[in-house]
Amino acid sequence: MKILLVGGGGREHAVAVAFARSSCTPRLNCLSELVNPGISRIVKDSGGEYYVGDPNDAETVLKYALKAGVDFVFIGPEEPNFRGVPDALEKEGIPCIGANREVAEIELSKASMRDLQWKYMIPGRLWYKKFRTFEEAAPYVEEYAESVALKPARQVGGKGVKVIEDFQVYLKEEKKRVKKQHVESIYRDYMKGYGDVDFKILIEERVWGPEYTLQCFTDGRTIVPMPAVQDNKHAFDGDLGPETGGMGSICCGMNLKWGVNDERAILTDEEMGKSAEIVRMMVEAIQRETGRKYHGVVAGQMMLTSIWGPTIIEMYSRLGDPEALNILAVLKTDMVEICEAIISERLNTVKVEFEEKATVVKAVSPHGYPLSRDLAKGHPVVVHDHEEGVFWASADLKGSGIVESGGSRLVECLGVAETIPEASRIAERLTSKVSLADGWGLFHRSDIGSEKSLERRIMLANMAREIYKYRERRGILGRRMIWIPGKGLEEVG
Amino acid sequence: MTGILGIYLFDERWNVGNFGVYGLMALQHRGQETAGLELIGRSRQRLSGRGLVEDVLTRVDAEGHICVGAVSPYTVEADEDVQPLPLGEKVSVALDGRITRVEGYSWDGSISYESNLRRAFARHACGRSEIETVKEFFDNCKGGFAYVAVNDRMEMAAGRCSLGVKPLVLGKFGFEGGIIASESCVMDVIGERVPISPAENIDAGDAMVFTPFSARLVKGCSPRDKAYCSFEYVYLARPDSYVNDIPIYRVRRNIGRRLSEEDRVDADVVIGVPETAIPFAMAYSNETGIPIEKGFELTGRRVRSALRPDQFERLKGVQLKLNVISESVRGRRVVLIDDSVVRGNTLANIVYLMKEKGAKEIHVRIGSPHIVSHCPFGVEVPPEDELIGRHLSEEKIAEVVGADSFKYLSIEGLVDAIGLRRGELCLGCFNRVYPEV
Repeated sequence: MKILLVGGGGREHAVAVAFARSSCTPRLNCLSELVNPGISRIVKDSGGEYYVGDPNDAETVLKYALKAGVDFVFIGPEEPNFRGVPDALEKEGIPCIGANREVAEIELSKASMRDLQWKYMIPGRLWYKKFRTFEEAAPYVEEYAESVALKPARQVGGKGVKVIEDFQVYLKEEKKRVKKQHVESIYRDYMKGYGDVDFKILIEERVWGPEYTLQCFTDGRTIVPMPAVQDNKHAFDGDLGPETGGMGSICCGMNLKWGVNDERAILTDEEMGKSAEIVRMMVEAIQRETGRKYHGVVAGQMMLTSIWGPTIIEMYSRLGDPEALNILAVLKTDMVEICEAIISERLNTVKVEFEEKATVVKAVSPHGYPLSRDLAKGHPVVVHDHEEGVFWASADLKGSGIVESGGSRLVECLGVAETIPEASRIAERLTSKVSLADGWGLFHRSDIGSEKSLERRIMLANMAREIYKYRERRGILGRRMIWIPGKGLEEVG
Repeated sequence: MTGILGIYLFDERWNVGNFGVYGLMALQHRGQETAGLELIGRSRQRLSGRGLVEDVLTRVDAEGHICVGAVSPYTVEADEDVQPLPLGEKVSVALDGRITRVEGYSWDGSISYESNLRRAFARHACGRSEIETVKEFFDNCKGGFAYVAVNDRMEMAAGRCSLGVKPLVLGKFGFEGGIIASESCVMDVIGERVPISPAENIDAGDAMVFTPFSARLVKGCSPRDKAYCSFEYVYLARPDSYVNDIPIYRVRRNIGRRLSEEDRVDADVVIGVPETAIPFAMAYSNETGIPIEKGFELTGRRVRSALRPDQFERLKGVQLKLNVISESVRGRRVVLIDDSVVRGNTLANIVYLMKEKGAKEIHVRIGSPHIVSHCPFGVEVPPEDELIGRHLSEEKIAEVVGADSFKYLSIEGLVDAIGLRRGELCLGCFNRVYPEV
């Protein structure tokens, strides 16, 4: 059994660990831009090769897949999906775990995703507007946009999203100015060089509630939901500071329980079911639209909102990072077996099981991340003690044997225990295992998975639940009615 | 007391000028003599003056994604002493309360408080301005205070003294940054709507430190007994604020209930003296079943009369603020509830006006214990020889102000109403017992 793993971040390190656990003892090869020290060791131990190259380039991936003579390719990040890497591999008869270019559209284009959701009337759909140019969007921002999320309409590595709540008239002018500036920079900076989507700017209504990621394996016929994971997007403790790719994540049971033997949970079983159904409907819709089968991982980046209950914020065509670590740490079923079942479209015959454990991941990043990544890059890393539970993310193993920081999250530390707060304490201890040799600072969030943070999330979920349940009882779930003086009653959606 | 504010946004495109102005307006009740705002961005600009926020900060043409601001009840002579206070070229601070000594520095009685702080800081910093140095300085300061300090490196530190006398909270502004303020009501006015709670309490001895790369809470060395100012709960803070995670309105309601329990009185109507005593009066009425009515109408702008420094201004304030609505009191036995009695002359004035409008009986109930002493931490209490409660009994005060009866809230009653342990509160103005600093 030979496998090529594409991508070299924390998520891929976790995937590599999962493959290494397999009873098939596969020979693992990896292709990524930087040499991930953790994956590198696993690759070496399994007798595989580490290839340095552009994972987004179909020809490069194909070349190494052929060279290694692999049974299948596992694609970690989203960008290779967007560039048609799975399509190119399958054309050559190499099976691939990774959404093909057409079905990956649900992540690639956030505008297409919403179009699809509205066309098929899939629940949990936010109100949105899409624009081709800044000039097209500007008058809208000038006149209408209030509390909104401003997004690049394409997935650009999770960057460029700005959420602005705007309800105080006395602060309106300033917020409008920043909104316009940001929409302009979405168009001119974040979307620069991306010609693969028509619409460049997406403006969505702002919503609140606890967020969670629902990742699923799919072979296009069956959808297997994994336990819900909650990521923490703010850079700093107490949900403060700029948005990151994720500073850490928690998971326990299917519905984000406090602990294995605990009644308290962020989500209810019913909400979990609804969320899985939403993801299933999205997969069915994109398959119907494109006529293509979805082979790989699909995920709903969800929020429990007061308007809808389970609501789609974004879709992923791959595992989340760091959410993958939580899931793979408790995955009992053989990862190779799951991949083979996806390839042969008999996922329904595999019993995918997860251990009942609480997991907490904490990412450690160099100062400068996420706003000034250049400053976070190129620092030599020191590891104290052994690396058990420490996953390498944005790190580069140089030929000299020295590891340098890559500018994003450096390592992701995983704690596993009976309760989330216990797992959090284990992960917290692991964060001190790395430092930078040149004295440049590292940071992580100590509050992820703490009792206080869990209490708040549960409270937030209860508040959103109370409102959406009321709306459900009144038969107005997801409906938004606005009285426009002089014009009358209008309904959005 | 001073209202202090700090806004720290990470995205340099923001101009927080207007956020600063409205944030300070939300703190205006904490000080009405001076207002000041310093904006830090590509450049650093300071706008300050004497008067209300809306008069001083009329045109904010400065720019910056970081700001520090203050509204203060103290009259100052030198412009450079208007808060936020420049501690030299590089560092400015908005300071609530009073620093009574600085470790390693001997206080010079011949120069002003502000000059002492500047000199102490200069000796400590020796030209440095890193935020760690600034924070260290305030760690060395003793007294009852809270601060928000900024430097010339786009950094901010905000913290409370280890006794926790003065309040301070942290609010969040989405993915953009954080807001520090004396009271949580600021977040309702300029922050985002957060469904759980508007702001988080910063504990005694702790400090929030912001740099362009980080925002972190630095825990202080485990403080001894705390000494939260009890006057915040009675009078200073806004009823829509939380202080030390306790909703002010809840305390005010408890006080009203407690007043009704401590001394029953037969009456026809409950009237509260605006604005602070209204929640006391509402709770008193709900508890006793005696109906509450609106007793006064105001002329002109709302001012906090007790905070005005001179007698003429105070009385003018009271007379304009408190015109008695005769229909509410004529021929009736009135329970008149006020928040505090300092000198007693404004109360005497109110009682006189009410009697003149036909009130049959007036039973005065005060929502705080008798004020007997000064405040070493900056709450403006007049000299002790002016304090009526220090010199006269309740019976005597009733006679002096012309009321049929007069009762204070007991100290136990106040402590119960706040809901904290006695050892966690500073009750110095009521019992002359001050925390050791």
